[in-house]
Amino acid sequence: MALSRKIAYINLTTGEIRTETISKELRKQYIGGRGLDIYLLYRNTEKGVDPLGPGNAAIVSAGLLTGTLASASARTHVAAKSPLTGYVGSANIGGFFGPEMRLAGFDHLVITGKAEKPVYLYLTNDSIEIRPAEHLWGTDTRTVQQMIVDELGDDDVKTLCIGRAGENLVKYACIRTSIKNSAGRTGIGAVWGSKNLKAVAAKGTLDIKLHDPLMALEYNRKIIDQVTSAKVSKTMQKLGTPFIWGVTNSTGLVRTRNFQSNQLSDADDIEPESIEEDIVGTAGCFGCQVHCRGKYVIREGKYKGIYDEGPEYTSLGAFGAEVGCRSKTTVLTGNHLVNYYGLDNLETGSMMAWAMELFEKGILTREDTGGMDLTWGNDEAVIELIHKIANREGIGDILADAPLEAARRIGKDSLRYLVHVKGMSNLHSDERPTPALALNVAVSSRGSDHLRGRPAIDLYHLPEPFLRKVYSNPIPYDGPLTSDYRDYEGKPWQVLWQEHCYEAVDCLGICKYHTVFLGPNMPCFQEWPELIRVNTGLSFTPEEIWEVAERGYTLERLFNIREGLTRSEDTLSDRYFDEPVPEGLPVVRGRCIDREKFRLMLDEYYRLRGWDENGVPTPEKLKELGLDTI
Amino acid sequence: MSESGSNGVKDRTTGQFRCLYCFTRVKPPRGAETFTCENCGYAWRIWWFSPTEPRIRGPVWDQHEKLSREKMKKQGD
Amino acid sequence: MEKVLVIDPEICTGCRICEQVCSVVNENVVNPYRARIKVMRWETQGVVVPMACQQCDTPMCREVCPVNALEKNPDTGVVTVNYDRCIGCRMCVAACPFGLMMYDFVDKKVIKCEQCQGDPQCVRFCDAGALRFEDKQKNGSAARKKQGKKLKAALSGRDQP
Ligand code: SF4
Ligand SMILES: [Zn+2]
Repeated sequence: MALSRKIAYINLTTGEIRTETISKELRKQYIGGRGLDIYLLYRNTEKGVDPLGPGNAAIVSAGLLTGTLASASARTHVAAKSPLTGYVGSANIGGFFGPEMRLAGFDHLVITGKAEKPVYLYLTNDSIEIRPAEHLWGTDTRTVQQMIVDELGDDDVKTLCIGRAGENLVKYACIRTSIKNSAGRTGIGAVWGSKNLKAVAAKGTLDIKLHDPLMALEYNRKIIDQVTSAKVSKTMQKLGTPFIWGVTNSTGLVRTRNFQSNQLSDADDIEPESIEEDIVGTAGCFGCQVHCRGKYVIREGKYKGIYDEGPEYTSLGAFGAEVGCRSKTTVLTGNHLVNYYGLDNLETGSMMAWAMELFEKGILTREDTGGMDLTWGNDEAVIELIHKIANREGIGDILADAPLEAARRIGKDSLRYLVHVKGMSNLHSDERPTPALALNVAVSSRGSDHLRGRPAIDLYHLPEPFLRKVYSNPIPYDGPLTSDYRDYEGKPWQVLWQEHCYEAVDCLGICKYHTVFLGPNMPCFQEWPELIRVNTGLSFTPEEIWEVAERGYTLERLFNIREGLTRSEDTLSDRYFDEPVPEGLPVVRGRCIDREKFRLMLDEYYRLRGWDENGVPTPEKLKELGLDTI
Repeated sequence: MSESGSNGVKDRTTGQFRCLYCFTRVKPPRGAETFTCENCGYAWRIWWFSPTEPRIRGPVWDQHEKLSREKMKKQGD
Repeated sequence: MEKVLVIDPEICTGCRICEQVCSVVNENVVNPYRARIKVMRWETQGVVVPMACQQCDTPMCREVCPVNALEKNPDTGVVTVNYDRCIGCRMCVAACPFGLMMYDFVDKKVIKCEQCQGDPQCVRFCDAGALRFEDKQKNGSAARKKQGKKLKAALSGRDQP
């Protein structure tokens, strides 16, 4: 049974390993994946723990449906206290590792302590081995995976790993698997680096038993049809996520030259349609029919001939508009290098864009940059900066730190130009004209982020009755809702709803492209109970799944509050309120976030959540969710 | 390659795209590289996903600024 | 009528749903290591090749079997294992030049693709279209057409005689 998988506690200091089964009770409360992730993180770390100290816990979790016959059941969730924000560190990753970890008999790993020398873990059929990794230290994320396969003599081994960025404790180093799959945000790679943990490899041959195999097969077919019949899936199959960049840049919702503009004009070379010309095929994660990952070979420049995958929409922002570059080669090369080193592309791009604005303003000089010319659109400098950050050389050493630390180190007026929430840089989208998206970024439990609760369908101008149908499932909502993405009304509920939707898929171990993220007709709370039942035999109602999501999300909030979060950090950088967007379509031009209306949105959001005016969950709410005794 | 497997786009929208400025559905002539929205007058570059499926690729940049300014002015009246 | 599993590695996205579904249909569990179809991967080069038994005209597995446990159906061409006769010597595994006669270490038996009684489920779930189930006569026509198109394009550039 998929439910027989275990939690393993691994202490790298002592080498002690013990395992535990997961009770049905716990499953009902947290489902698995991200839900059990935060439960384990909360219980296995002390308040105020040093994110890069041995007391932090690095957690790896498979979702409840990971590896089962649920479409795109490929996902793994990782967690730790974030070295970037000091709050919840949490990220999700696709590929093939999660299913393999389950085939090896494990659902969750709680890794604590610090190994004396570099090590990696090898999970296979109910056993865990701590193996030396000194010979792997210093390798890039692709080489290390191959070396482990060779060393274990098994092509089927799947590996999560860190690259040099993680070893060098770059605060936004990521966890990687395969060619490009990354658990990007919140710097978990640095946590692994601090523990001398280079990789976790898995290979297993234990059956994943299904509750009703034939029903599961048929239900999966139905869900796949539902997913692939959406127009957006068809677009993704061809253009991948860059298509989002195309639509948003056309409107004027792409952060350009740090935060100076909202649209990069005349950037035909990096438009998704142009990227597509270089895409030689697409790749899918385990069991996924959307296969959004492009395969490409860099065609020009110093890295000509190198194979990689992507680029995601985020790389178009990070190595394109944000830094003012218009070159496909730069985007594809930048994307390759962050994969190679194991850096979060999004944070990397944002840090570079910030540095470039500081250079423009004279806060950083050529002396600080070691002679580098950080003017907008300097393709060479962008590529060089990536190397410098990953290796912590020169100015790269400062930029490799968390944004707020870097701002302290640079001093002067540098903080003013930093676009961040809770100490994590914003992605490259510009939310100034879109209050719903702005609220999502401001309240996200892991710092500025779109994958915690972005109501992306808010941009589609859907009719109100249709929106109401989507957003009243499974909890009826009769407050305001409007089709205009520039409005403030009703947006708090949309954000909250999406937060629960994404939390739920992260608990299940399914990809967000298979739920209401980019397509409003995707499988969601109504379909999940049957999906869970046929695969695992557990019964949940849509409302119960919603409650699990709320519990998980609230526990992330409690973790953050424990680590010092207050309402004052549920906000946006001043520039969101003070600098109207200068470009884009007339529908967005000149718009920015209204401070007062934002405050009201935040109040409403807290109220809907059952949190007090300071953003603290009320005792009644905690009781309702069974979190009063945690 | 993606054309082989997936179900097609709904018929009623075939051949059309939605103007990002005014949100009306418009139908450019087959194979057109640019198209000016009949409803709002905004000019778009078009990319053909398949011979029958147009998508907005981006604004026609050399008209974008002028058109936007004109419309902003009108809004201001 | 003989039908064959046609494989197009160029289209394959490497998602492995074929392996997943195969193990469920045949063994009632998800376990890619018990599947009859295998997606070979050279990830660092972006190459994936799905592989499954092609029901050879002269099946080496059958040739080598000492107890005649392997039978080739004269109508469908499918090679099946008769488990009542099989003694589990695994010589067929050794004989298959493609490694597609395999050994299931859980149930301790040899396994191979038997085309799901004429409705291969891997094909049904491969939306990418990398797996097709086609008449044997048709085999190769898709590739010929694809490549032929290139020739056609080259020729159409010429002056008509
Ligand atoms: S289902 Fe199709 S696309 Fe997916 S791995 Fe198998 S052959 Fe390749
Ligand atoms: Zn229009």
